Amino acid sequence: MSQSIGTRSQLNMLSTPAVIFTLALIAFPFGYTVWLSLHEFTFGGTSTLNYGRNYALMLEDAEFWNGLKITLVLYVLSLALQLVLGTYVALLLHASKKLSGIVRTLMISPFVLPPVVVGMMWLVVLDPAIGAANWVLQAIGLPRSDWLASPQWVIPTVALIDTWQWTPYVALIVLGGLQSLPPNVYEAAQIDGASRWKTFWRITLPLLMPTLVTAAILRSVDLLRFFDIIYITTQGGPGNASNTLNIYGFRKGFEFFEIGYASALMITLSAIVLGAVAILTQARKRVAW
Amino acid sequence: MHDDALIRRLNTLQIALVGLLILAPIAWMVLASFKPSAEVTAYPPKLFFAPTLENYVALFQTTPFAHFTWNSMVITVGSTAIGIVLGVPAAFAVSWTRITWPATVTLLARMAPGTLFLLPWYVMFRELNLIGTYTALIVTHAVITMPIVIWVLLPFFDNIPRSVLESAQVDGCSVPRILWRIALPLVMPGLVVSAILSFVFSWNYFLFALVLSNGDTKTLIAASFNFIGEGASNWGALMAAATLIALPPLVLAFFVQRRLVSGLALGAVKG
Repeated sequence: MSQSIGTRSQLNMLSTPAVIFTLALIAFPFGYTVWLSLHEFTFGGTSTLNYGRNYALMLEDAEFWNGLKITLVLYVLSLALQLVLGTYVALLLHASKKLSGIVRTLMISPFVLPPVVVGMMWLVVLDPAIGAANWVLQAIGLPRSDWLASPQWVIPTVALIDTWQWTPYVALIVLGGLQSLPPNVYEAAQIDGASRWKTFWRITLPLLMPTLVTAAILRSVDLLRFFDIIYITTQGGPGNASNTLNIYGFRKGFEFFEIGYASALMITLSAIVLGAVAILTQARKRVAW
Repeated sequence: MHDDALIRRLNTLQIALVGLLILAPIAWMVLASFKPSAEVTAYPPKLFFAPTLENYVALFQTTPFAHFTWNSMVITVGSTAIGIVLGVPAAFAVSWTRITWPATVTLLARMAPGTLFLLPWYVMFRELNLIGTYTALIVTHAVITMPIVIWVLLPFFDNIPRSVLESAQVDGCSVPRILWRIALPLVMPGLVVSAILSFVFSWNYFLFALVLSNGDTKTLIAASFNFIGEGASNWGALMAAATLIALPPLVLAFFVQRRLVSGLALGAVKG
């Protein structure tokens, strides 16, 4: 008995450094941000408690609602594109039985690239005047686009960039799901003479739902916090057309140094992310088999 | 039968198309980095040109690219080391005790926006006079690496049969010794994967260095963001920088490609 108590304390000792680090750099800062969001904060001066004033201001701030709208539009658009295209690519790869080395290497390349590189690359490709994208559009007889420089196209364009980068990731997750499906259900469907189309909708897709929801959770976390590619390419512009909540919060904090207000924005955004994860986690339980 | 062959061929064609779409912008970036600078901005774009290294030469001559590379190496290696030193024993303890909250709390760092942490860190590091230091950057990047190490290693530790650990205990081995002598050698492949993933994610990370570094300690990633503003005049050098920065993660990821998807998912996807 005494030995197992000794074991427990030795194990606690092993995790103590990581726990201290987590408390100091993750948990305490998180709490501090909550505290900051309830204060009017000034560097070197005194911070005064203003209760929910930052949050009240936020609700009256047109730019907050604009940011929320942009965040949600970008989220829904990108997630839908990535799930549909990711499933399509996964089905292609699954049908070809063996995933060749070249294809696998290609598939992982986009999402291991640094966001800065992805941003720089697409800035050049999508340049309205000399970019290759407009050259391709022209070559196939379509009108040119201003892409990231256009207020109404900037969000769809960002969604396209993110879809380019993350569809392969979703596809590899879905491929993993496909490979773990029980083969006997297919055999049964084949004996019944079901068409490919029917087999997909009636059998594959329902069985794949838990995997798809998992992929959706992982992408939701990144998409709702969208920052890197936008900050690198447009910094929220043109005008405020790509000013997502995360970009807006960052600019409020580090361009205008309204730390209290920026904290309120970030706590709100975190609540949205955690809320989405909670809802999708419930949904995953419902589609489990 | 004839039908099947056709479907298979159509399938291969579609995979090739998808591959082309993935490859095209990357290839474009690499090609542009080798174009003579006058031809980088040519319209219509030139597909055939005499390759040159002038953009790379210009990059190293007009910017402190080598210095920024050094900064990135220091911060990436430092944060990966901290991630491993803290994460390995923690993952071992979580796997043994099944007390998972220390691992779960680290997921907060994965779910909350980086700016949320940057605001209090900025206030804290300003108080401590640490803004612009390697320390601030290494420690904050370890917030990225430590959860990766813990979550990648957990399933590896879980796979070690309990009896192996218990019989070592009966022989009088202390817990840290069991970790060092028995468990760690068994999870070596996992350790390599977690180290590589940590390196890649710390190397790629953008936001923290944007605020917490100064002109002298900037990472390559943060510095190249400034190149975009300054370098609109020299796209060739910009593409040369992008190509060089992309190399380490691309090469490293190649070695762990089979573990990449589950590693990125921090426990949500089994690999």
